Amino acid sequence: MTLAVDLKGITKRFGAFTANAGIDLAVRQGEIHAIIGENGAGKTTLMNVLFGLLQPDEGTIALNGKAMAIDSPAVAIDEGLGMVHQHFKLVPSLTVAENIFLGMEIRRRGLIDRAAQVERTRALSQKFGLKVDAEERVAGLSVGIEQRIEILKVLARNARTIILDEPTAVLTPQESRDLFQTLRSFVDDGMTVIFISHHLEEVMAVSDTITVLRDGRVVATRPKQELSKRELVRLMVGRDVSFDRRPREVAQGKAVLEVQDLWARDDRRLPALKSASFSVRAGEIVGIAGVAGNGQTELAEVLSGLREASHGQAKLHGKELVGRAPAEIRALGLAHVPGDRLARGVDRNASLSTNILMGRQDKAPFAKHGVINWTVVQDEMRALIKRFDIRARGPKDVARSLSGGNIQKVVLAREFTAGGDMLLIDQPSRGVDIGAQEAIHDEIMRQRAEGRAILLISTQLDELKALADRIIVMFEGRIMGIVEGNAMDEDAIGLMMAGVDPADVKEHE
Amino acid sequence: MKTALLPDGLIRTLTGQALAFLVALSLGAVIILLIDENPVTVFTTLMRGAFGDAEKIAGTLLQTTPILICGIAACIGLRGGMFNVGIEGQLFLGGFAAAWVGFAFALPPVLHVLVAIACAVLAGAAWVAIPAFFRVRYGTNEVVSTILANYIATLLTSYFTIFLFKRPGGWSETPPILPSAYLPELFSFSRLNIGLLIGLFLAIATAAFFRWASTGYAVTMVGSAPKFAEYGGINVRKVGFGVLLASGAVGGLAGGIETLGVHHRFMEGFAPGFGFDGLIAALLANGSPIGTIITALFFGALRAGSLLLEVDTTASREIITVIQALIILAVSADLMMRRRGDRTGERRWKF
Repeated sequence: MTLAVDLKGITKRFGAFTANAGIDLAVRQGEIHAIIGENGAGKTTLMNVLFGLLQPDEGTIALNGKAMAIDSPAVAIDEGLGMVHQHFKLVPSLTVAENIFLGMEIRRRGLIDRAAQVERTRALSQKFGLKVDAEERVAGLSVGIEQRIEILKVLARNARTIILDEPTAVLTPQESRDLFQTLRSFVDDGMTVIFISHHLEEVMAVSDTITVLRDGRVVATRPKQELSKRELVRLMVGRDVSFDRRPREVAQGKAVLEVQDLWARDDRRLPALKSASFSVRAGEIVGIAGVAGNGQTELAEVLSGLREASHGQAKLHGKELVGRAPAEIRALGLAHVPGDRLARGVDRNASLSTNILMGRQDKAPFAKHGVINWTVVQDEMRALIKRFDIRARGPKDVARSLSGGNIQKVVLAREFTAGGDMLLIDQPSRGVDIGAQEAIHDEIMRQRAEGRAILLISTQLDELKALADRIIVMFEGRIMGIVEGNAMDEDAIGLMMAGVDPADVKEHE
Repeated sequence: MKTALLPDGLIRTLTGQALAFLVALSLGAVIILLIDENPVTVFTTLMRGAFGDAEKIAGTLLQTTPILICGIAACIGLRGGMFNVGIEGQLFLGGFAAAWVGFAFALPPVLHVLVAIACAVLAGAAWVAIPAFFRVRYGTNEVVSTILANYIATLLTSYFTIFLFKRPGGWSETPPILPSAYLPELFSFSRLNIGLLIGLFLAIATAAFFRWASTGYAVTMVGSAPKFAEYGGINVRKVGFGVLLASGAVGGLAGGIETLGVHHRFMEGFAPGFGFDGLIAALLANGSPIGTIITALFFGALRAGSLLLEVDTTASREIITVIQALIILAVSADLMMRRRGDRTGERRWKF
């Protein structure tokens, strides 16, 4: 069988940094080939080399048995390669069909033939089972649909080998499942799929062959059957990492945070949080599960004073939080690790010391009489770098020079040392490597052991399973149910995340 | 893909700025050639006019002073994420207020200066308070409202000068201020006064404030990462209002120093373009008060040098406006290119 993609000895350097070191990759026609590795392992660089966006320093490329130089994406596209980027590049004000044919419009007498475009879109949509409305505007469509459009765009350019870069990062579980089905149908048609991911479950679920990258090298290429999840992690990280539920003592503390019938609106002024009531005790981790955009962010923002509540109460140590400014809430003892960490959690262009100073710029020992003592701040930052194992050269490093995981550790370090006994942690390991994720989980468990009350919002069920004592499931701003962490029923949580009450399902069975 | 940015970046900044400067000068040379003048003569005349002897240097510094103070006003705004384009108007009102105290009241020497300066500062702050309020309360774009406020301010001072306080008979100017309100001069041969020292002190104080004060930290964070600042408990609106007020106050101060130190009266259109030059000086210095000392000096030298240019060559003094514009263009193009490269990082090569 010919190889759809055959890379040999690909090396790509950026200055002194080697992103890809002698990578061999052989993708057979008609398979789903997953490329998995941590951030910075070289996955995206490799795919950019393959797609002609970067030129390799060494190595050869052969597509469908033909050796060739790919010096631009146009060459790759001509050869039947298609790439679906992680961040979609659609024009919101144009229709689905217009987006698909953007740059290759079907013309008649020099004018765009809209009718033909719509017709072709419908034909493609039907042929590949990707349901879209060809004449709808892209603005306002869900990310799942947007991704379908991106895939259709690639198909409209006659791609036979499709590269998907982290395709599920933005999808709901249901949308991911649909996507996998689509990918399956592609390979059944004889097409080839290259699938980049760092999400273990889905790689195990969907791929035929798995190539693992670490530090710019291939550490293994094996059929999926020969790999277990545990092995895969070991290959990716280079050591054993545990995802098991963390052992713990049962929480006995008294309630620190009490939320009663809390309502809030989103930025469009629509109700986003509806009558939430729950409590978090000292020494307890309460997890909030739900597909992104079901009111979790709004809940976190209301609790930290960044968003107005439209109704209801939230008490921290018996003191009302609703109506208070963020600074007052911080002073009451709430620390907040924001979900949108690059916009909210740090100033990317400032040094680590500057970032760590936020919220304590007028407090001793960091400042006296309104004058900042930078020596103290830098010493503190140095200590935090050590304690939280932040990979940085020093306190003067600019935040954006750090990887996502390390930026997250900087945020955690600042918030966990702010002295609050209520921790509000939103998406602790979004975009974070598995190795770093383990360290972050360790630190969260340590905070729990020290008696802090922790509200943990995550879209990753695995993470909640490992950490939470109780899990609240949210759907469309409402709490669908609360599940004990010890006896967690994943199916039930999955149903609740989709807005279905598990009790109803049982009745029907 | 980590990159070592800092030392590398600084070298790149300096070489980039130097290159931009050279490109601007050579473009300027081409334009000078087009008007049948010798670029070398023009540039050396400019240099002689600006730094030829002690008197000329003092003249340069005299021009530098208001640009520097206006530049600091702009730096304060820029640090806090506010684009105060209304410094020109604050300067005019500050100048008028100081002059009014200077001629309308008789006070003991030092006190007279202090009161006049205080009124100038208040006038500048009060003038910017209106756009500042609308900015933080309703999110009105401060660029537009402060630009518009400029017209009202300059015309308002013209109205005061012509209709209310006009010196009988003469030009459209107020009566002269009392000598007790004069700013002390530094040398016998020039009108250069302690305003320059005030400007230098202010530049250093502002830089130190942003470096070491807790409030300075809050302002910087609001300017560079407002969502982060809000999250960290800083009252973004309050800081924004305060920043504009401080910026306007310094703008008013610039006007006060100009009337008390140089003109000793308020004249209609007494300080053309100092506010805008200051803003540009601050932008070229990337919002750094210390850097603004250098850029303001440069603009001051161009202004002072252009006087001799008109005497010694056939070139019009407007040529310096052209050169100034070219430099601004080249330097900001350099800035933009670098920013773009940094932001996209590896993806620079994509499309």
